[in-house]
Amino acid sequence: MEHDDDGVDEHDTPAEVDAAFRTLRRVAIAHFVLFLAAVMGVPALSLTLGWWSGGRLAGGMSPGFAMAAFGLYGFFLVIGLAAATLSSAVEARMLGGRNDQGTDYAGDPYPSDGELQ
Amino acid sequence: MTITSAGTLAILIAAVALVTLVVRPRGVSTVDFYLAGQRVGVATNALAICGDYFSAASFLGVAAAVYVSGLDGVWYAVGFAAGFVPVLLFVAAPLRRFGEFSIPDFLGRRLASERVRLVAVGVVQTVILVYLVPQAVGSGITWQLLVGHGLPGLSAYATGVVLSTAVVAGLVAFGGMRGTTWTQAIQFLLLLGALVWLAVAVAGSGFHYSEAVADLSAEPLANPVHGDAGWHLQPESNQLDPGAPATFGQPGAAYGPLAQFALILTLVMGTAGLPHVMNRYFTSPTGTAARMTTVWVLGLAGLFYALAVMLGTAARQQIAAAVEHHPWLEELTVDGVLRVPEHALPVLGRIYGGDSGLAVVAAGALVAVMSTIAGLLLAAAASWGHDVYERHINPRATQSQAVWAGRASTVVAALAAGALAIAMQPDDPSPAVPSIVAAMVTWAFAIAGSALTPVFVLAIWWRGTTAAGAIAGMSVGGLVSVSMFVVGALPVGPGLGETLVTPTLVAAPLAALVTWLVSRATTPPADVERQWLVLHGTAADRHAERLARLTIASAEPTRRRRGRGTRRQGDRDADR
Amino acid sequence: MRTGSAILAGTIGVTWAVVYLVTQVFVSPPLGVGTTVAAGTVASVLLVLGYPSALRGPRAARTLRRWSQPRGGSDPRPGPGPGPDERGGEGRGVERSRRRIVAGGRRMPLRSGLTADAARRTAELLRPLLGGDAVVITDRERNLAFVGPGSDHHQAGGLVRATSVRSAIAKGRTVVSRRASSMGCDDPDCPLRSGVVVPLVVGARVVGTIGVFRTHDRPTPRDQVEDMASILSLHLELAEADRERKLASDARLDALRAQINPHFLFNILNTIASKSRTDPDEARQLLLRLSDFFRYAVRQEGQLAEFAQEYFFVRTYLSLEQARFGDRLRVRYDIDPQVLTAHVPVLTIQPLVENAVKHGLADKVEGGTVTLRARVDPLTRTTSIRVTDDGVGMTADVLDGLGAGAGATRAGTGARGEEGARGGVGLQNISERLTALFGERFTLDIQSTAGAGTVVEVRVPLR
Repeated sequence: MEHDDDGVDEHDTPAEVDAAFRTLRRVAIAHFVLFLAAVMGVPALSLTLGWWSGGRLAGGMSPGFAMAAFGLYGFFLVIGLAAATLSSAVEARMLGGRNDQGTDYAGDPYPSDGELQ
Repeated sequence: MTITSAGTLAILIAAVALVTLVVRPRGVSTVDFYLAGQRVGVATNALAICGDYFSAASFLGVAAAVYVSGLDGVWYAVGFAAGFVPVLLFVAAPLRRFGEFSIPDFLGRRLASERVRLVAVGVVQTVILVYLVPQAVGSGITWQLLVGHGLPGLSAYATGVVLSTAVVAGLVAFGGMRGTTWTQAIQFLLLLGALVWLAVAVAGSGFHYSEAVADLSAEPLANPVHGDAGWHLQPESNQLDPGAPATFGQPGAAYGPLAQFALILTLVMGTAGLPHVMNRYFTSPTGTAARMTTVWVLGLAGLFYALAVMLGTAARQQIAAAVEHHPWLEELTVDGVLRVPEHALPVLGRIYGGDSGLAVVAAGALVAVMSTIAGLLLAAAASWGHDVYERHINPRATQSQAVWAGRASTVVAALAAGALAIAMQPDDPSPAVPSIVAAMVTWAFAIAGSALTPVFVLAIWWRGTTAAGAIAGMSVGGLVSVSMFVVGALPVGPGLGETLVTPTLVAAPLAALVTWLVSRATTPPADVERQWLVLHGTAADRHAERLARLTIASAEPTRRRRGRGTRRQGDRDADR
Repeated sequence: MRTGSAILAGTIGVTWAVVYLVTQVFVSPPLGVGTTVAAGTVASVLLVLGYPSALRGPRAARTLRRWSQPRGGSDPRPGPGPGPDERGGEGRGVERSRRRIVAGGRRMPLRSGLTADAARRTAELLRPLLGGDAVVITDRERNLAFVGPGSDHHQAGGLVRATSVRSAIAKGRTVVSRRASSMGCDDPDCPLRSGVVVPLVVGARVVGTIGVFRTHDRPTPRDQVEDMASILSLHLELAEADRERKLASDARLDALRAQINPHFLFNILNTIASKSRTDPDEARQLLLRLSDFFRYAVRQEGQLAEFAQEYFFVRTYLSLEQARFGDRLRVRYDIDPQVLTAHVPVLTIQPLVENAVKHGLADKVEGGTVTLRARVDPLTRTTSIRVTDDGVGMTADVLDGLGAGAGATRAGTGARGEEGARGGVGLQNISERLTALFGERFTLDIQSTAGAGTVVEVRVPLR
């Protein structure tokens, strides 16, 4: 690993960055639509669906209140985690890759550091 | 106030102050002052962001809003927590990768225009000031309740305002950001600790959340009003269904149909434009780390707001039940309902923990206020000192001159906020808004979300954004949102007023549209492709990660790489 | 069903159960039947659409291993996967064929892969590229080529004279000499004073060396020479694999032979050599990319690989071609996030892209754009990969010739000369491999209009 740690700056080509950018934009918009649907859906349901605020969960809380009081925060965490891992996975796979590729191959007979012995 | 509560409070505040001083940085350069060396771990950074973000509005305001309006108050919690999802999706990683100090810096360099930078500074300063005022108000209210009397010549409320802003301004000016990054994290832990303790105490006393909601919903929601015949309870009118009474567990106690969506959208869009929160992202080591930091923040925020909502509900039920056992509640309540809803958590603390409990909650509130004020003042200092002073007033400024400019602007911003807070003292909480503190914070979110967020997101995700477009968008967003506040303050009829004070629903799309139209008519910066490599490429991230691995792997840490200068140099290299 | 459909079906079942519990059991009064069914349907549709993107992250590495087993027969077996024994047997099959490739040749592959003539051309190219005064390429005993000062006594074809070269061959390690004494040339008048000698390795055998010498005491940076040596080693290995192809039935080697050819290596080395004067940083980047390119091609073992890896191969290739063609070659990738973890046949996309560059754009003066579009269709559960160029296109009869089988292809595109014939082999080869892998369950469509460009689309089952 000696020589390519120090001497080489990592480098992305514009076409690769553009590809990653558009893929990430797609990821972000898809998740945002889902997020907006959920966050707007909770008040929307309480306006339209009687059961949403009239029903009683075990104990007496309505589904709408339960969603606003804790369900949505869990959803935010889940969607955030999903978006973050997906975005990072997309970036790792679409940009760079010289060093990351090597990890898939244990006992690689063609070491990427060029120290052929 | 007793010796116990004073002692507990003093110890907690002293501990925070001590930490600030102990971790105070040695060499002070502007980069150190503003950026804490970019070596702050993801978790610490997430905690620090939470410390910045969870203000008096979150700690006192959300519980108060739930206390007063039930489900309609919960929308505040939902909106505050949801705000980080758009940040995560659209802003966090590219913003970090671009590697600039502040929002004006980012927009200025991205669009290659000093005018954009100056307009952005104007908007940022407005947001900061509007955000500072409710924090100062919150500390005034806390002082009023906790101490009850002020310094000679000042009311109790004014004393709280003056002391909190002065102390925090001093800490920020002389602690530097390195100090406040750690203190933000520690302050947030203290805040969360106070909330968790209160939740455990409430749950331990046999409080049943679900049943409490059902019990409270069984009868119409009524809140104290100061009328001709003194205080009395007046049922809230149902904004959704004018005939029916408003109840705790049903929507409609505070907001009409459109206003419900407008409020949530305002809070959701606003977070991405909050300067003190966004500035924290520049301290993440990489774009990916910035993203993971946001995930942490989402988790912490979810926990925090779920607890705050629960405690607001608990306060509504438990305080009414506790009145007969606690005579001191008489003067704070009307028929078992608090006159000032912001008192909900401190009173709950006193019911369950006695004077020490009150002090813990009060310390939490003061700490929430202090950490947010610190973040805001620092953002103000960064944008005045860095964007205006160093670039336009004195371009040949030395490091120490720039630091002093930052300190001076810190003090000026604190003074302005304190004066405004005293002028706006809430004598008589109006029933129209659930919680004055939460409502005032909403204004800051509205301006940020209308003027900054659309332009910000477009600049990151659309190559065609131009300087002229950004200026037009920020101006339109800012002006429309402010003028809607003004119109909303006039009597315009029920339902419409609440929509007007949460103007993002109208102003943000308008700002985005104007930005788009003007940008289409003008030419984007020539080097947009090169900027794209930095904004959306991961070359600098990978380089930084490899250097970090190398530094860890090598037995003797290489001195020349330890400076953050090398890291920033790496960013610059990737530009070329 | 091997594609994770069972998991999807299970997840949908669980979702319906949750919807039922939440709306009918835990809550009183229960939600109306119509609304419940609507909610469950919305959840199911979201799951089906979002499911492919859940196939990501750490699991990918594991599934990759499973899928790297080559499978005989044309139809993938249904069911959760072959038993361990069966898979082990296949694994041994791979081992065997690989071992044969590596250990098969006892002759000097440098002579067949890089002839003395090729060695001389290479050495001439590398001399400016590596910043040396003299470059030598040897086999285990003799100098194959020597370019630069000192060639009077280090003749090509003569025995190796420098001890540093001999010790590099013996030890199989890089030898750096900083003084004339450690260089060990037996001619006292030798002008060379410092040098870096790196062995060329095929499998585990040292088959020769490449040495870069200078007439002063500061040798060439060692890493540059090692990079170059690793590229040459890989190339030699490929040349050897190419010769062994007659023995190996693995169709993948066809693809290798077709794609990784001396023309490409020499073209790109020429480009790098010219860049090394104007832009040494970029030349260095290109050298690394070239090394990546060969390394990927050689170490692909199975029949299927994660799309992200094939994509890496394609963009490595295209960035090299872009260096060569400059502004004339524009590239656009349009890639679904879900497709990154889908598994596609190895070494199929790059040949399509290479055809687009070579036959579509290389002959077009103003150049053009190559577009790679990859999508996952969650409903039909297919991966579709489309390579488009706006180059010169093909006439209908050439297109027909491409579709008419190997013999016709080779003859039909004769007008394009050798390169055209090779392109045909590429498509033919891809088609054969897709048939072997998927039977009838794939499509390979080519549409072309003379003067307007070509579209090649491959659709394979989602893995």
